[in-house]
Amino acid sequence: MSRRPHVLFLAPAMAVLAAVTIYPIIYVLWLSLHRRLLIFNISKFTGLDNYGFLLRDDRFWNAFYNTAYFTVLSVSLELVLGIAIAVLLDRAFKGKGTMRSIVLIPWAIPTVVSAKMWEWMYNSDFGILNYLLGANINWLGSPIWAINAAVFMDVWKTTPFVALLVMAGLEIIPRDLYNSAKVDGASRWYIFTRITLPLLKPVILIVLIFRTLDAFRVFDAIYVLTGGGPANTTETLSIYAYNMLFQTLQFGYGSTISVTVFFCVGIITILYVRLLRREIE
Amino acid sequence: MIRSKGAQILYLFLFSILVLQGCNRETPPVENDQVTIVFKHGKLAGDPEAFETLIEKFEERNPDIKVKGEVLPSLSDEQHQFYVINLEGKSSDFDVFAMDVIWVPEFARAGWLRDVSNILPTDKRAAFFKAPIEAAVFQGKIYAAPWYIDAGVLYYRKDLLEKYGFTPPGTWEDLVYIASEITRREPGLYGFIWQGKQYEGLVCNALEYMHSHGGDILKDGRIVFDSIDNRQALEFMEDLIYKYRVTPELVTTAVEETTRHIFGTGKAIFMRNWPYAWNIFERDGSIVKGKVGVSLLPSFPGYQSSPTLGGWHLGINKYSDHPKEAERFIEFMTSYEAQKTLSLTVGYKPTRRKLYRDSDLIRAQPFTAKLYDAFEQAIPRPITPYYMMISQILQPEFSAIISRIRKPQEALESGSKQIEFILQLED
Repeated sequence: MSRRPHVLFLAPAMAVLAAVTIYPIIYVLWLSLHRRLLIFNISKFTGLDNYGFLLRDDRFWNAFYNTAYFTVLSVSLELVLGIAIAVLLDRAFKGKGTMRSIVLIPWAIPTVVSAKMWEWMYNSDFGILNYLLGANINWLGSPIWAINAAVFMDVWKTTPFVALLVMAGLEIIPRDLYNSAKVDGASRWYIFTRITLPLLKPVILIVLIFRTLDAFRVFDAIYVLTGGGPANTTETLSIYAYNMLFQTLQFGYGSTISVTVFFCVGIITILYVRLLRREIE
Repeated sequence: MIRSKGAQILYLFLFSILVLQGCNRETPPVENDQVTIVFKHGKLAGDPEAFETLIEKFEERNPDIKVKGEVLPSLSDEQHQFYVINLEGKSSDFDVFAMDVIWVPEFARAGWLRDVSNILPTDKRAAFFKAPIEAAVFQGKIYAAPWYIDAGVLYYRKDLLEKYGFTPPGTWEDLVYIASEITRREPGLYGFIWQGKQYEGLVCNALEYMHSHGGDILKDGRIVFDSIDNRQALEFMEDLIYKYRVTPELVTTAVEETTRHIFGTGKAIFMRNWPYAWNIFERDGSIVKGKVGVSLLPSFPGYQSSPTLGGWHLGINKYSDHPKEAERFIEFMTSYEAQKTLSLTVGYKPTRRKLYRDSDLIRAQPFTAKLYDAFEQAIPRPITPYYMMISQILQPEFSAIISRIRKPQEALESGSKQIEFILQLED
């Protein structure tokens, strides 16, 4: 018997992983160092030229700013609302189970479908939103409103996901802690900030990892809602990369943008994981 | 159980062979030299049965060929993506495929299309409308056959125009005048709606103003985008919303279906759209049934109406194993007979001129027959392999104009600079 049989048993899984994730990642990295235009049969190694161009590309920085704005705003709103909903639903009341399932509905609808639905609701002529507000706002057509409308839709859609994870976190907090705090005469707010929140920290960090990564790569919701308009004010990095790669077939530069997204996401993940590890230790 | 490292590796090796064996595809036995060609296309409008009958008819007449139709997602962006990935990978899984007219030069330049001059020699091309033929020619050779055609048209409320004694507008100024007069007397109506969301449709709309004012984007391969003609045309487009106020701001998010919906509920006097909307307006239960008229899009004084050309072409995959059979299939699908069937059943507008004088077609579809002038005057979007890149540049610029983020002159300068950069990419 060899000393490391586990390596052998892991080999098939590693091979599959290498084939389906590591190889493509390396290939995209390789592509990003090329000037590669499919339609002209041009494929030339240009080193870091694409990255140099990226730094001077206004459209890239615009997309970067939009993505960052979208991520920060939507994730913070989802977190606050998600925790609030979870805490409310954690209380004992009649119909709790039903309520929990109902809350999950937005999360269960496929993104493209809900984006299409919101596109109609945001319509300034016959959309229900303006009707309810008695307003006449061009939600998706105004440079100020459009990105916020996208954030709002994302919050509507993914808050339930946050709430679900936080609810699971609440379940494992021992009830004794609450009881003894109550006996000591602690106020509800005090209990929430001194017991609930600290004990929820690991769950919150996991929620943050999931949500930040998803939000940073946002594509389908905004692509359906505004197509990046008006005038690219809602174009995110993923939409820009898609346009370069599949609309205009600039595989070199498109890969450069994708690699940049990959590294941003990587950095965010490392930061979160560090925080999480410190928390657990 | 496994005793030595050698045996372990052997087992692993045998196992992987077993797995790989499963990937081997079995090739079906060939019957009397019959060839199967695969036809890829988007989802067809209306009843699929008509299309199947057409394929059966082809197979009856060509017993040596079997046709397998394969449907792609209905979004044209997704179809484009599918073709790019597969053709780049030199796939021979499909032989004939349907292309949006704007992809033909791009695919031809990439070397993914077979030259089809064989089935469309110069003397046969005159039977088709000029614009779709022009749009399929790249460096003197023709790379796809026009299958069906589309062009922008003006929908108007016949009843309202008659009530106030107007005839359909010939110039854009007329349109503004009629729209303002009627909205003044019938409050609550929109004057003129069109498609202004940041997408391909916005480029089609903007080009109609530019072309009907003598402007263009490219001329003989050179950029002529930053011109006075274009500036005035785009200023007019902006003025429709903010100065004349005949167009509501909501068009900056509108696509075809948004405007079709608004017009269909009787809330607009004029609408720019493609011919597909007609049948929906004339359905039983439609609020505007019998109240809608269609005419050529207006132009600026001294110029011609310039609807943007749309439509789909059939091409042959360069890597196809059965190009001769594919040619026969395309010849059949674009024939007088097949186009007539498709027009009568699913409403695809024929690319052959003569069909617009066909008595059966005129009787069954008087509307289609009346579109002849619009198709005759249609103007293709810039015919260049760079078109998709140019459109990517123009979409945000036009969107910026109608959302008042940039002045038309600024958009023209910025767009010009970016297109110039693109045109140099090849060097």
